[in-house]
Formats: sequence, structure tokens, C-alpha cells
Amino acid sequence: MQLFRPGANTIAAVVIAAIGAVPVLAVGLSYEVMRSPYVTNQNITRNQPVPFSHEHHVSGLGLDCRYCHTSVEKARFAGIPPTEICMTCHSQIWTNAQMLAPVRESLAKNQPMAWERVHRLPGYVYFDHSVHVAKGVGCTTCHGDVGGMRLMRQAAPLTMQWCLDCHRSPERYLRPREAVFNPNWQEPKNQAEIGPKLAAGYHINTDHLTDCTICHR
Amino acid sequence: MSPLKELPTRPDPARRSKLNRRQALSLLATGVAGGLAACSKPDEQILPYVRMPERIVPGEPLKFATTLPLAGIGRGAIVTSIDGRPIKVEGNPLHPGSLGATDVFAEAAVLSLYDPDRSRTILHNGAIAPREALNRALVTELSETRNSQGKGLRLLTGRTTSPTLLRQIDGLLQAFPAASWHAYDPTDDENARQGAQLAYGKSVRSIADFAKARVIVALDADPLGHGPDQIRIGRGYASGRSDANAFSRLYCLESALTLTGAKSDERLSLRPEAIERFAASLARELGATASATELAERERLLLQKITADMNSHKGEAIVIAGPAMSREVHAFVHWINAQLNAPVRLIDPIDRTPSGKQAGTLEQLVGDLDSGRVRQLVMIGVNPAYDAPADLHFGARAQKAAFRVHMGEYADETAAIANWHLPQRHRLETWSDLRAGDGTASIVQPLIKPLYESFSEHELLAWLSGAEDAGAYELVRQTWTSAAAADFEAWWQRVLHDGIIAGSGATAVSLAAPLLPPLADSEPHDKRDDEISLVLRPDPCLWDGSYANNAWLQECPKPLSKQVWGNALALHPDEASRLGLTSGDVVTVAANGRSIEVPVLTEPGMAMGVGALTLGGGRQKVGAIGNGVGASAYTIRTSDNSWRLPQIAIRRTGRREPILTTQNVVRTPEDVRELYPQYRLGQSLPSAAIPHPPSLMPPAVKSGDGHAWAMVIDTSVCIGCNACVLSCQAENNIPVVGPEQVAMGRDMHWMRVDAYDHGAPNTPQLGFQPVPCMHCEHAPCEPVCPVAASVHDSEGLNAQVYNRCIGTRFCEANCPYKVRRFNFFGYADGEEYGNLGAESYRGQKNPEVTVRARGVMEKCTYCVQRISGARRASERQDRPLGPDEVQTACQNACPTRAISFGDLNQADAEINHRKADPRHYALLGHLGTRPRTTYLADVRNPAPSEPEGRT
Repeated sequence: MQLFRPGANTIAAVVIAAIGAVPVLAVGLSYEVMRSPYVTNQNITRNQPVPFSHEHHVSGLGLDCRYCHTSVEKARFAGIPPTEICMTCHSQIWTNAQMLAPVRESLAKNQPMAWERVHRLPGYVYFDHSVHVAKGVGCTTCHGDVGGMRLMRQAAPLTMQWCLDCHRSPERYLRPREAVFNPNWQEPKNQAEIGPKLAAGYHINTDHLTDCTICHR
Repeated sequence: MSPLKELPTRPDPARRSKLNRRQALSLLATGVAGGLAACSKPDEQILPYVRMPERIVPGEPLKFATTLPLAGIGRGAIVTSIDGRPIKVEGNPLHPGSLGATDVFAEAAVLSLYDPDRSRTILHNGAIAPREALNRALVTELSETRNSQGKGLRLLTGRTTSPTLLRQIDGLLQAFPAASWHAYDPTDDENARQGAQLAYGKSVRSIADFAKARVIVALDADPLGHGPDQIRIGRGYASGRSDANAFSRLYCLESALTLTGAKSDERLSLRPEAIERFAASLARELGATASATELAERERLLLQKITADMNSHKGEAIVIAGPAMSREVHAFVHWINAQLNAPVRLIDPIDRTPSGKQAGTLEQLVGDLDSGRVRQLVMIGVNPAYDAPADLHFGARAQKAAFRVHMGEYADETAAIANWHLPQRHRLETWSDLRAGDGTASIVQPLIKPLYESFSEHELLAWLSGAEDAGAYELVRQTWTSAAAADFEAWWQRVLHDGIIAGSGATAVSLAAPLLPPLADSEPHDKRDDEISLVLRPDPCLWDGSYANNAWLQECPKPLSKQVWGNALALHPDEASRLGLTSGDVVTVAANGRSIEVPVLTEPGMAMGVGALTLGGGRQKVGAIGNGVGASAYTIRTSDNSWRLPQIAIRRTGRREPILTTQNVVRTPEDVRELYPQYRLGQSLPSAAIPHPPSLMPPAVKSGDGHAWAMVIDTSVCIGCNACVLSCQAENNIPVVGPEQVAMGRDMHWMRVDAYDHGAPNTPQLGFQPVPCMHCEHAPCEPVCPVAASVHDSEGLNAQVYNRCIGTRFCEANCPYKVRRFNFFGYADGEEYGNLGAESYRGQKNPEVTVRARGVMEKCTYCVQRISGARRASERQDRPLGPDEVQTACQNACPTRAISFGDLNQADAEINHRKADPRHYALLGHLGTRPRTTYLADVRNPAPSEPEGRT
């Protein structure tokens, strides 16, 4: 008696293939999901209490990054400016702008501004801005073209793979010291040539840069 | 759909839901869809400051010098504060009571600060009361008493050395001439005071310099044990044992095993009466006139050795007597030290008011209470309802004073008998000042705004003197205005920065030669065998009981018994078996008609006929951690002999209560010899270490950027004080697990102190070996981890990646040193002993170290956060890391500097000098693990006539 219909062979072949392929695809898919902006929050623009424009302040007015992010050279955190830093200028200009009402209110009521966090590293990662800046990693290397952003967004995926990419061969991204805070820095054509020299000048030793203990403890 | 009537399970129609299946399914679908839609990642917000406080950089530590008291005496501290939260106490190198190191009590102070059980409000008869009500009550009482010049006013404080408080007390006594001031500290050594009085005719404080001593004789004294002078004495002891040509010898006669006894070169356990007789014999050997008393053979031999040693080391020999010795013995000791020209400095007492007033005693206060002369009793920072000797019946007698005010950090036993209770500020949140043991003053500086509405003792005293609004800051500054140079502000800034007031130490007093009190020719009245006397000791973890609500200290293993969460009556094993007792039997200890129940612990170092018990247990009203833990020795203590009860009755109850210990003292001879080698001074050491056995592991570690971290621990100067254990706990966010978990064999300390016994069964000779992770170059934990959570880094650190760990515990099973700890539960957060659900404990956590979750393995990291911090600091400045720039938490805390840490690749690092020492050895080196943590063997210096050396 014929138990199987003619299509059964095809079905069996597909099932057998699927047994091999589905796990691979599933792993691949979950990798893709983990690296997708859905998980990494890359390029997601968030609404802020005050629509602070880096484009206007950085590109337009030419403010240095360190004018607001004061601790970037001395601490792990670059620092979100306290309200009084905003008010150093805005007590003189745009003093009645409706857009800045929350800033004035913060100062008046002594209540902090609640900015939406854009760059978030997991709690088990101990990132230090000051060392990266001291070793010639520019602000825009990780934060992207901040001078072109109206509202802040996360330009890089901030995955461990992305971190390791640079920790394995930092010379591809290093800048001369005077260019670290330059928001318009473009990678020169001869980066492959000057990069290793810069790395040597900064005393960067890549041997320990991929140790777990560099970032996790 | 027709209902299926035949089904027997059909519910009663009346209770049937109004929903039909279709509606229910659609609601379910809506719910799932709604739930999924709501399941987006939560947004985080960043709240910057409105105005940035001066000097604060978010996430960066600030350090401030302050002073922490123990029994009223200050030890300098440098406290690290991150974002305004004090998180770690370290020693102040400039301070003579700290010398850059700490002890367990200083380390644990940060946890007490955040204790949610601290008193938070003013209480009137146990109920919350407003400040105005207290003010009204005080004004009424004080205006009444002012008319009578303060006749009914009594002030009771702890022992205090605070110049500001003493100045205020003087002021109060001037305003109320008929009032009086009493001081009580349960760890006070009244016999020493009276002994000095006998010898010199006045009170003096003697400061022994252990660094200059070649011969030290401790008569039932524990100078290396816990106390306000432990760090200074420990450092002196260690430096007296650094040079093989001027190596000190420590003789110890004691009734119960102490840290000093453990570290001694010659030790004899004797009853306290026998030690007193020995002291008299020693005085006679040195020229005092007295008739001979018979000494037992072994005592006579020891006496010969001591006398010979002393005579050949005039000017370099010290005798020290403990609090259980009579005042006559203390006077002998002064006389002997004067004969020997001992390196002892005598200074005026440091707990007098500027006008020279000395506090009255608690006994006098109780007498006044009894006779009805007291109307207002003000108790500041004391807890006599708990810790006064029981025969004073303080709690009952205090009721005879109509107006009772208590100020304390906890609403404790004494708060319960007072009409009014005021919360006292923690030391890390108030201004004050204190003196070190040698009289050097330093300022107590607040690290944080008070967490609760609490008061400083200075504010209360000012309040009593009529200045309700005086602040502690101004009061302390007023004390020092006259001491300062012309520019007070500059002086004040320097004093705050340095943490000491330079030149404020007491100068030595010159006195006539001490008198020798008449030697009471005590008959060799040896007690009958069945008479047992009890010696009391401050607890090595809880001190006098005031630290009982500190979970770190409750779970800190007591150095000699490794007991946690409780205390026990220590008895010699033979004594216990004579009484038919074994460790863990609960007995009733009765003396003078009062009794307590306490479990028995057998301890080979005890003298026969002596039981030993520590203070500090049995608190009733301290908080969730400390209530009801252990037995209160105060219940049977009496005021006439507070450190020694001549006769106690021990009766078994038939109950058993397991003694909770974290580990055992290692006593099997072959293990002791192998794991804790000990040499006699001058003994030739075995030749260099065996070569590393062949290994299949990859060759050592790759060179990295040149650093190779390693640690060497010198066991010869480790005094087992546990400062490293507590320091590690504070630095690395190590949780406690609680007594139930300890009973299951679990604990979380990254650093443990192993104890090894080199002695014969009845003459223990203990040594201590702190054991952190060995950071093996061929680490057995690494190949067995299925997820590579246990990995090496290029600088030789054996890292544990918490985020990878899946909790198989294979690494723990494969670690020959047993240094890995597993979070069976979320000990750090949410468990009962971890935080009691209290938010405040989170303030203590070090933000540079991960708080480990349930199911994760953890262990010592060599303080990788400190290595990283030092490295980042050096890289910011573009300079190489200095040879001894990184200090681990344990190293930093060690009073004797037994622990050194550094980079093997830097030739001038201290660690390389230690590695070259012939005493250097690796623990279980034959396994081929190539540990980076290694040891220096213990060295003892027994007297030469010793027939055979101990190994």
C-alpha cells in the first residue's frame, strides 16, 4: 500500500534541510536583531525638554565641546552641563525665548533639567572619557557628526564588537592632540601612515587593550 | 453554541462569568498586544546639577581627613567620598593613632553610617516628639536647677578626649557648680589607673614603644589585640621584627588565648592569680624585696629566661599588664619598667577638662541616684542600661532621677529608660575633635550632611548651657582659636587637610622613681580544680557591643575561633571534658546570683580553671541585625572586678547550639608544616624553591604592557586583626550572608585569614595567613569554565567576568585554595542581611565595582578598579605607573604592613625585595599553579635555652 503521497519526498527534503538551516538562521537572525538599531538605539533621536541643538551651538556658534562637557578631560563622565552653564549665556541672550523657559524654570526652582539619555552603556562597562581623550580619540570618532545634529542621537552602535574594533587597532582612528575636540575633523588620506606614529607618541600599547579587566570589573 | 449540560464540572450558572469564550479570547488578545506594545525599553533620564557644587566632579572620588573614635580615643582616617557619599575609610599616614592603617571598627564605620536602624527622631517616653517640646522641657528643668546651682544635675558621658567637649563640660560645671560629670566606658582599665596612682601618686598614661623593645613581656595583656592603640602597637611590633640582628622577643603569660599570645615567642597559659604571683616574682628577681613564693617548674624556667633576657637588654625591655591584673601588679610593672629603663613614655591623662577636672565614676553616680540627689540625668553617647555592671542595677536606679535625657546613635536600652531620647550624629556627619593615644589632637570633619535630623553632643551641651542654636562647627572652631597662629583660617585649612593638629601631642611628664607597693606575699593559694574563674574581654569584632548592629562586624570571623554571629564561653578542652561538655553545649554561667546562657567553645590555648567570654553580645534594642545575637557578659559582670570574676558556676542546660564558624584552625601537623612553615630566628632556611613542575597549560602569561601584578604577604608580622578582611568588604561591595547561610558553609569574604597551630596539643602556637585569590599563572579555575568567565588578562590578573558567568561552580570546585565565592542568593541586594530592603545601604556601595547578582561566582580581583584607576591617572598625565603606586584595599588597611603589592617587572618595587627573601614560599607550590600571591614564612624567636626548636 502506498502510504505517502508524491509530495512527501519534497517535504522530507525540506524538513531535513530545515533541521540544518533553522538553527543557523536563528542564530544569524538574533545576531542581526542584537546589532540592529532596535536593540542598540543607534540613530534614534529623542525628544528633549529643551530642543537643544548641537548643530547651532557647535557648528553655528563654534562652542568648544569642553565649554559644557567640563569633566571630559579629568573624569570617566564627560558631564552634562548644570543649568547655570546654560544660563551663563542665556541670562544675556534670548532671555525671554519661550523655548528656554524650562531652563529658566530649572534655575528658579532649583530643580534639575531632566534630559533624555541618548548614550547608554550597560552597568558592567566602566568607560572612561578622560583616557580616550588623552590618547587622541576625538569626540566625533564615537559621537559622530555632532555638529550636524539638531537633536542628539547615538551615531555608533556601542556594541562590544564596535568597542573592540578600535581597541584592537586604535591607530586607524587616532588624531593629533590638537584635533581631538575638532568637530569637523576628517580622517586624512594618510591615516594609515600617521596612525601608528600617533599611537607610539601616545604610548598606546594594544597588548592589554583587549583584556576583560580593561572595561569590566 | 449549545451548553454541554452533561459535563459534571459545569459551574453553578449563577457564578458563571458573563463573558463568553469569544469575548474572553478577544480580551486576551488585546491584553497580549497591549503588553507587547508596552514592552519597549524604558527611557533613562539624566539629571545634572542646577549649580555644580565646588570641587565635585560626578563619579570622581574626593578624600577628606577626619578622626574616628574607639573608646573615646581617636584614630585618624582619610575617607573617600563619591558624589557626596562616604564609601571607604582609610588610614591617615600623618596621624599617630593610624599611621596610614585602619582597624575593623574604622573600616566598618561607613556601614554604620547608612544603618537604617539608627535613631532618627527625638523620642519622649518612646513616642516621637518635636524639638520644641524637648526645648520647653529642657528650659523648664534648667531654670529650676539654675536656682540651686545645678544641684540635681548629673552629666554622664563615655570616656572622651575631645578638647571641645571637655571645654564645654568645664563651662557647664562653671555655670552649675553643684552639678557633676561622670564618665563610663565599659572597656576602661580602672586597675591600670589605680596602679599608676600607687606607683607615682598621680594618674599617668604610659605609652610603650614596641619598635624600640627587644624584650616584651605581656602579663595577661593583649597589646596586639583590638583597641584604640592596636595600629600603633602593631606597627611597632612589626618594625621590631624586621631586622634579624635586633629581633624582638615576645613573652606572653595569659589566661585566655589572645592575638598577642598567638604571635608570642614564649607563651604560658596560667590562671590570672598565678600570673599575678609571677609578676611579683619577676619584680623580686629584679631587686624588689619580698619573700619567695613557690613557682611551678615551667613558670620558674620561664622566669629565668625572662630575667636573663631583661638584664641583658636594659633600656630595651618592656613589661605590660592587662586589665585583669590587680592594681598592685600594674604598680609592679611601672616599677619594673623604671628599673629596666624601658622605652615607655609617661604622659598626663588625656581625658581631663582644661581646668584639670577628672570625671567621676559610674559607681559614684549610682550612689547619688540611690540617695535621691539626682534630678536631671543627661546621658550622652553611652548605654549604661546595657553595659553597666549588673550589680549596679543602673536601669532601675536611673528611674530615681525624674528627668532623664539620653543621646545616642540608636534608640537603645538606655533610651528605653530615659524620658527623652535625642538621635546622635554619626561620626561621619558631625564636627568634633579627638585626641590620639599620645595626646595628638585632630578634627572630626563631616563627610556628609546628616542623614536624619540628629544632634551633635556639642550642640546638646551648648543647649544645656543655654545656647540652643550653637552649631558644632562654631563650637569646635572656638576651642582652637587660641591654639592657632595669627592667621586662623590658614591654620584651620591646614589642620583639616592634614588631619592632625601638629604639636598638640602631650609631652612626657617627668616623675620621681615609682614606689614599689608592698608585695603582698600571696600564698600559693591555688584554687581547687573545680573552681573556675571567668575572664572578660572586649570583643574583637563588636568591641563593647556598640557595633552590634553592624552586619560586617557580626559576620567578621573572630580571629582565634573564627566564630561569627555570636559569642561563646571558651574553655580548655580538658576542662570541658571534665565538666562533660563539648563545643556547642549550651551552659548556664552563674556568678553572684545572676546567670546567662551561652554555648561552650573548646579552645586549647585556655588556662585550666579559666573560662573566657567576650563583651558585646546579647543586645536587646540595637536593631534588626544585632538584637539577640550572643549572650551579654554584662549581666554577670560586677563593678569591683570588671575584667575577672573569681568564681563562676557552669551548669549544662542539655540544649545544644552549634557554634557558627566560617572555618577551622588547621591543627594537623603535616598540613601545618607544609602550608604554614615556621622557622626559628637564625635557623638555616631550606634552599631555593623547587623548580616549577612541567605543565600542559600555555606558557605563563603574555608579557602585556609590562606590568605583572603580584602580592607578597609576610606571615611573620600578620597579627590576624581582620582589618584586611573588612577593608576588602568595604572596597569591593562584598555582602554578608547571615547566620543561616554561614551554618550551611557559605560566606562571601574575598579575603580570609587562615589560622595554623604549630604547637603541641596544650601549648598552641598560632600563626595567621591571609588568603586572597592567588591569581595563579596556571589557574586551575580557567580551563574548567564552560563559558570563559574565568580568564587571565595580560598583566597576570585572573579575572572573573560576571556577565558571562552562568554559575556552574566548576571553577570553585577546581580551585585548590578555595578562594571563590558563589552568590547562592542575591546576597548583595534583597536578602534579609544584605540590606533589609533599605535604600540607605546602597549609599555605601563603591560605584567602581560591580554589585554581583544571584548565581554569579566572584573572588578577589587584586582590586582591579584601583589598578585601573591608577593606570588611567598615569595615562592622563602621560607618565609611566610608579613602582608602588597601586595599593590594594587589604594592603592599605594592614596595621603591620604585612601585605605588599606591586609590579614584578619593576625592579625597584618593594614586592621584588620581598620575593628575594629566603623565607619566600608559594602556597601549594608543588601543584604547579604558579601563584602570583606568595608568602614569607613565619619566624619566631624563642629564648635560647629552649631545648629543641619548633618548626
